[in-house]
Amino acid sequence: MKNVSVSFTLNGDIVTAEVPPNWTLLKTLREYFELTGSKEGCGVGECGACTVIIDGDAINSCIYPILEVEGKSVTTIEGVASEDGTLHPLQKAFLENNGVQCGFCTSGMIMSSKALLDHNPDPTEDEIRASIAGNLCRCTGYVQIVESIEKAAEMIKEGK
Amino acid sequence: MSDLLYVGKNIPRTIEVDKVTGRAIYIDDLKRPGMLYGKILYSNYAHARIKMINTSKAEKLPGVRAVLTGSNIPDVRVGFLKDQTVLKKDIVRQFRDEVAAVAAISEEIAEEALDLIEVEYEELPAVFDPIEAMKEGATLVHEVDARGKPIKSNIIPMPWKFKAGDIEQGRKDSAYMVKDNLSTTWVNQCCMGTSGCVAEFDMNNNLTLYNQTNVPFLDKQRIMEHFAAIGLKGKNVRVVNVVVGGSFGTKLDTDIYEFICIQLALKTRKPVKILFTREEEFRALPPRQPARFTIEQGCDKEGRLTFRKAEAILDNGAYTSWGVTTPSVMMMPMSSLYRVTNVSFESTCVYTNNIYCQAMRGYGNPQATFAVETSMDRLAEKAGIDPAEFRLINCNQSGDVTPMRLKITSCGLEECINSVKKRLNWSEKKRKQKSRGVGMASLIHVAGGARVYLSDGHGMMIKVDQNGHIDVLESGTDQGQGSPTVISQIVAESLGFRPEDISLTLGDTGLCLWDAGTHASRHTFMAGNAAIRVCEKAKKQILEMAVEQMPKLIKNGFKRKKRKDPDFVEPDLDYSLISSPEKLDIKNRMVFPTTAPDHPYFKVEVSQILRSGLHVGIGESKVVVAEAFYDPPTEMLDREMKGNLSLTYAFGTTGVEVEVDEKTGKVKILNLFAAHDVGKAINPTLVKGQIYGAAYIGAGYALTEEIKLEKGRVMNPNFRDYKMLTARDAVPVEPIVIEPGDKDGPYGAKGIGEPGLVPTAPAIANAVYDAIGIRIRDLPITPEKVLAALKEKKQQQ
Amino acid sequence: MNNFEYLMPTTINEAISFHESYGDQAKYIAGGTDVIVKIKEGKISPQYLISLRHLQGLDHIIYEKGELRIGAMVTHSMLERSPVIRKEFPILTDAVENIGSVQIRNVATIGGNIVNAVPSADGAVPLITLGAEVRVIGPKRERIMALEDFFIGPGQTSLKSGEILMEFLIPKLLSHTGAAYWKHTRRAAMELPILGVAVLISLDDDMKTCTEARIGLGVVAPTPMRAKNAEAILKGNKVDDEILKKAGEAAAQECKARDSIRGKAWYRRDMVELFVQRMAIVAMERAH
Repeated sequence: MKNVSVSFTLNGDIVTAEVPPNWTLLKTLREYFELTGSKEGCGVGECGACTVIIDGDAINSCIYPILEVEGKSVTTIEGVASEDGTLHPLQKAFLENNGVQCGFCTSGMIMSSKALLDHNPDPTEDEIRASIAGNLCRCTGYVQIVESIEKAAEMIKEGK
Repeated sequence: MSDLLYVGKNIPRTIEVDKVTGRAIYIDDLKRPGMLYGKILYSNYAHARIKMINTSKAEKLPGVRAVLTGSNIPDVRVGFLKDQTVLKKDIVRQFRDEVAAVAAISEEIAEEALDLIEVEYEELPAVFDPIEAMKEGATLVHEVDARGKPIKSNIIPMPWKFKAGDIEQGRKDSAYMVKDNLSTTWVNQCCMGTSGCVAEFDMNNNLTLYNQTNVPFLDKQRIMEHFAAIGLKGKNVRVVNVVVGGSFGTKLDTDIYEFICIQLALKTRKPVKILFTREEEFRALPPRQPARFTIEQGCDKEGRLTFRKAEAILDNGAYTSWGVTTPSVMMMPMSSLYRVTNVSFESTCVYTNNIYCQAMRGYGNPQATFAVETSMDRLAEKAGIDPAEFRLINCNQSGDVTPMRLKITSCGLEECINSVKKRLNWSEKKRKQKSRGVGMASLIHVAGGARVYLSDGHGMMIKVDQNGHIDVLESGTDQGQGSPTVISQIVAESLGFRPEDISLTLGDTGLCLWDAGTHASRHTFMAGNAAIRVCEKAKKQILEMAVEQMPKLIKNGFKRKKRKDPDFVEPDLDYSLISSPEKLDIKNRMVFPTTAPDHPYFKVEVSQILRSGLHVGIGESKVVVAEAFYDPPTEMLDREMKGNLSLTYAFGTTGVEVEVDEKTGKVKILNLFAAHDVGKAINPTLVKGQIYGAAYIGAGYALTEEIKLEKGRVMNPNFRDYKMLTARDAVPVEPIVIEPGDKDGPYGAKGIGEPGLVPTAPAIANAVYDAIGIRIRDLPITPEKVLAALKEKKQQQ
Repeated sequence: MNNFEYLMPTTINEAISFHESYGDQAKYIAGGTDVIVKIKEGKISPQYLISLRHLQGLDHIIYEKGELRIGAMVTHSMLERSPVIRKEFPILTDAVENIGSVQIRNVATIGGNIVNAVPSADGAVPLITLGAEVRVIGPKRERIMALEDFFIGPGQTSLKSGEILMEFLIPKLLSHTGAAYWKHTRRAAMELPILGVAVLISLDDDMKTCTEARIGLGVVAPTPMRAKNAEAILKGNKVDDEILKKAGEAAAQECKARDSIRGKAWYRRDMVELFVQRMAIVAMERAH
């Protein structure tokens, strides 16, 4: 199978991937770009551990064909903190409010909640839960994840 | 305890910043140079003879580096009762038996190779029900035991018989008695990170196993025993954990995939990674042990329990892992949850051709507590006593010694029951609402270690460098519960440093001392106590160094001042205040005399002392290093299954309010209060995190989760059809953290990892009964079961 | 995953001619949330995937003169966010806002959902109840048919090889019409339903007499179905609890519920009976 060439914006940089056409975005991120922050929890779009943001929308990268990413803007967990390493309020909030336990679902949770807060800076608890309904977590019972997202929203509003 | 700086505070988990930036390395992310990918071929039958395996096509596929079957690896038995081999050669006994394994340069090629392996089976009659399997003439799952002796029955010879007091006398003393049959089924642990490991041999055949285990030292020991049987006796094994994506009991044994990975690495002389897909995680990973209970209880007219008699039948599946030992933990609630003198509990474990089981959070306690607490509610009703009152009448108290000889020291059970009663508005709501109800259930669990093995020790080593940075080598593991943060709080508090001064290494047998395992909710208790002891030793060294160095440092300081300002007069100080280690202490990295904590001159930052102590110029320089191995004064269970195996016990009560839609059978949890006696919360936010997470798993156990097994085959091996709760299934959990302290816990802390889960299902079941008068006796309480029961009730009326 | 080439035609003709060239070895792919999963699970192994994402004119939501046209490539998220759908066709909002997860809805299309044709497709039942038609383009011709007739079996539609589903047409509804959809699940998200019930009721000016009744059922037959006997009970009559109960019972009788690992037949029938009544009440509220 001949490789295809796909150009897109990845965490702010224009990149080109040369991969087989049947590769998913997740496989490309993890193996071609060695960005292993996005995880494979199920491989079939049922757990959200692979969530990334494409053109502002939260997407399961494990079932997203790589060619469809051409010309789009992709953000992964590795692109959430500032270039100088300053953590995004979501990252800070997850650490401060015990929204992270084993951490396997965390990348996906942060991406889903970032997609939410980028569009809706003042979400209700229901809206938060709906935005992460496709992100499974076994450790936290979701409570402190919701609290982390609420705190992050507050921090963003206060300009932190 | 009044002026603690770090213990009891909500110190954030900033030490784990890698997890929020995508940098944490899980097994999925680990890459070793030249690493190959291993895949396993599973059997398609629950019970069959393997007539032929042909791997020639697979071997020829480009990119394949090894193909293994039971015939080309040593035929050595593994497992708790040594009742299986790594790859199955002649007979497969369950649907997911490992029949062959491939190592290749990519996952895709390895999978392709599996498809090219030809296996011919001759199907054999199988048995899928433990009751059937116990009957005479039933198909035998095993023909011989580990020693080659013929087996005549599917009943596994395990010593699970417990007796205390006199049951018959108990019956005679009873004014009321109840008897119930209850059952729980298989559920999956659902770790978000799937199982897997990377095995790598060096050229001398010493192994490094990158793993996710809860028990690195036991894992190492089991592998070394295996090595001795396969011609690698004396070779070293180092087990090193990467970041673990959850455990919930899945990593307490040495799994078959670990042995397979090791064989592939040995054969190929390359590092090999095996990583389960989610489907494998559902099909091939041993789940929670199911159980069928018959339980009888009685009480006198005043509501005091007179006896408790229970039997359990365990569908063990085809091989043994920790599932078969869950009765040893079931004995705890059976014999010691509430005060009851006359107790009998027997458990029969039976081989079948179903999937075999291992540990899962609670380890038999959730199953047994479902039985005990359902029975308690029934008995309360029969006796005409309010169920909360009934529990208070029989409540465990400090100072009790239970029929299992458990010595109850700290005990907050009464407070737990009362606080839950209050929060639920129990008296207003019990029996009073249509379609709504309240219910409660309590728990007892080990919380001060668990002497399951001959040693229940935990070793810790620390070194403090010249900058005052502390490296802790901690022999426990981290599955995500927050151990690094909690232990750094305890070390900081005990030594007088700050949490940010501490780096920890966990789960590395090459660097750390020894630990029985991060299981049985023992980690904080054991590591915390080891930390206190090791810090005592380290502190002594630092203060001895301070006695030598402080006067010099202070006087040098005066000399420098005099050089700058000739008018400066060296103050006349009483150096006897700092003349011996007993007179000094450290707080916030400052060393000071205890009798004059605010002394203007006798206050030196610890790194100055450490640097001076190391760079002496002449004579003996010193470093600060200490170790401690803490093994609590507890007992193993004796032949009668009695013994104080833990130094202290956790208690708790979960109270639930539910609303049942009587037309659909759906149960909605309106409120869930989880009151837990944790001794002392080292980090309240983290403690709550444990309670929330465990309560959710408990709610799933009660209402939605079940592995659907049909003739040994898992029919729902994915998240679509295995109903783990999502964020939108909001369960309003409120933890009530009760801190009566504990004289043996580090700063008074007890374990909390498992207790949060244990009483959840029976509390919900009891609440459902209060709401609609229906008692569901087998988990999960699905809408179908509720609706069917409601219809039946209506018909009877 | 098996090897495949991924083609991205920009016109319908190009797409169709790709399909003609590769025939059985080719499969159209919309969002991919069904097709990619099927490939990964080994259920299908096409050599060529023909993406429909870059075709023009398939992503519209147009509400004109009471008629609604939805392009096949409209995602569930677009439907969820559409104010006109929420206001005029809340039954569709009911359906899409509970499909899968945000991640799935951002990518999965209403057309893909219909063409995948699982008995549990949440998009299908409300659309059938609204009386939707589909416009299909193929190598030889364009055709329009009732959505109800589009499904012929589990996973099977009447699409001929190479045909592409273009859009859904929902004709103007009667005045005083309300419609609602219930997805019965065990959990609140990520669920394929145990069953789906859609009810559409049009009321006369007296706001009590039913002039039109449509009841769509999902997962209780090989394809999404209409409960015509139940509909007949309601149509032309004043709607009260008793008549709703009869309609519910009729719907339960005429559905062909079966046991599956997702639910038992008896329970499905009971829920059909219950939710036909409950959704009828919601539909009538919306008719006001």
